[in-house]
Amino acid sequence: MNRRPLTVVLIVPTGVGASIGGFAGDALPVARAIAQISDTLITHPNVLNGAQLYWPIPNALYVEGYALDKFAAGCWGLQPVHQNRIGLILDAGIEPDLQLRHLQAVDAARATLGLNITDWVLTDRPLQVELRISQSGASWGTIGNPDSLLRAAQKLIELARVEAIAVVARFPDDEGSLALENYRRGKGVDPLAGAEAVISHLVVRTFKIPCAHAPALSALPLDPHLSPRSAAEEIGYTFLPCVLAGLGKAPQFVTPTVGQPPCLSQLVTPIVGQASCLSQVLGGQDAHPTREKFYANRRDFESQDLWADRVDAVVIPATACGGSAILSLSGRSSVQIIAVGDNKTQMQATPEKLGIKALQVNSYLEAIGVLVALRAGISPASLGADISSLRCLSD
Amino acid sequence: MTTHFISAEVDLHDTAEELHSAIEIELQKHGEPLRWAVTDVDVDRQKAVVEGYVLVEASPAIA
Repeated sequence: MNRRPLTVVLIVPTGVGASIGGFAGDALPVARAIAQISDTLITHPNVLNGAQLYWPIPNALYVEGYALDKFAAGCWGLQPVHQNRIGLILDAGIEPDLQLRHLQAVDAARATLGLNITDWVLTDRPLQVELRISQSGASWGTIGNPDSLLRAAQKLIELARVEAIAVVARFPDDEGSLALENYRRGKGVDPLAGAEAVISHLVVRTFKIPCAHAPALSALPLDPHLSPRSAAEEIGYTFLPCVLAGLGKAPQFVTPTVGQPPCLSQLVTPIVGQASCLSQVLGGQDAHPTREKFYANRRDFESQDLWADRVDAVVIPATACGGSAILSLSGRSSVQIIAVGDNKTQMQATPEKLGIKALQVNSYLEAIGVLVALRAGISPASLGADISSLRCLSD
Repeated sequence: MTTHFISAEVDLHDTAEELHSAIEIELQKHGEPLRWAVTDVDVDRQKAVVEGYVLVEASPAIA
């Protein structure tokens, strides 16, 4: 049977206190379920990473958030791989014993999972991560020495020819803080997540290769009241195994080369006077190329590469629709946005407030039902008790 | 190179794509946008509240 493959994007933004997926890999069951009814699931480390725990999903693509935004905007494509050669960056701020724990975690992943992890680099300065909470309640952070991170990544790429990079930065031990207490109880916002995103975004933006981050922290004392949602981070010494497993098969990025249009058009009328995402970087190029022009010089059009025009649906917490990827994908008429109400977040950016056309559902179970209907070519509306009358369009 | 946290208000537009462009243009005034999101919308004032990080390259040293 010839039919269009169902491609679904699952997003649970990191560091916004998502009640499902805001803790330690606790959106992974959602990803596994959605992958069962999708041909391809595109999702990101915050969804798939459960510290020591992970689950290999053969049809899932592990795409870091910056790259996911670029993919959604039609600027980058995704190229599946059999295996990536992975390099590791350790922050010079990590104590020697904790460094050794991470190197042993890498060795374990090589020996038991067969991952191709070849080289590691210690940054030439401590990265000096600091954590913050924004006015909206989202976590974020700063890196004192971003150039040191990028120098380490460059060394791995140039000398070891790695194709993906795992970064472990020393994060502040926050023992005794209310934020950590809440997190361990399965409440509030992951205080580390926002700063983690800055680290991986920097590497992906600069080198355009897959990257993911695991924080290095001292082991916490036993807590008998630990939430199951947070428990994955307290069963070992590092959070690194899930990152290595994800990067092992993370898709490479297909990015425009000089002389190519910067982004795939959404086939809408250009907004006069406004620039598309990369036009300022590349300068003087067609900011809104047609599909034909975009692909004109691309041999990869006929290959396995995935571009934004292959996306059929995106599943997102209903209050977190204000990210770059959702705003980009909402412009594609072929994309069904499914907004899940009971995955609460600290954000207040609902589809109605943003003027985004979305199908609102209560739960991920309901979202999965919508995807099944889409795959079968059934209008979700026809599965309800009330079916509205046909509209008559008049002049 | 440094990373900076930015909070801004951007006028709502007719479409989400136009809003996306307007946010990027606003953040580019402060540096290269690295990650951002609309965190809320003031419906009465038709403003999107945006939080994000930008990247600022170090200025070249003055000889």
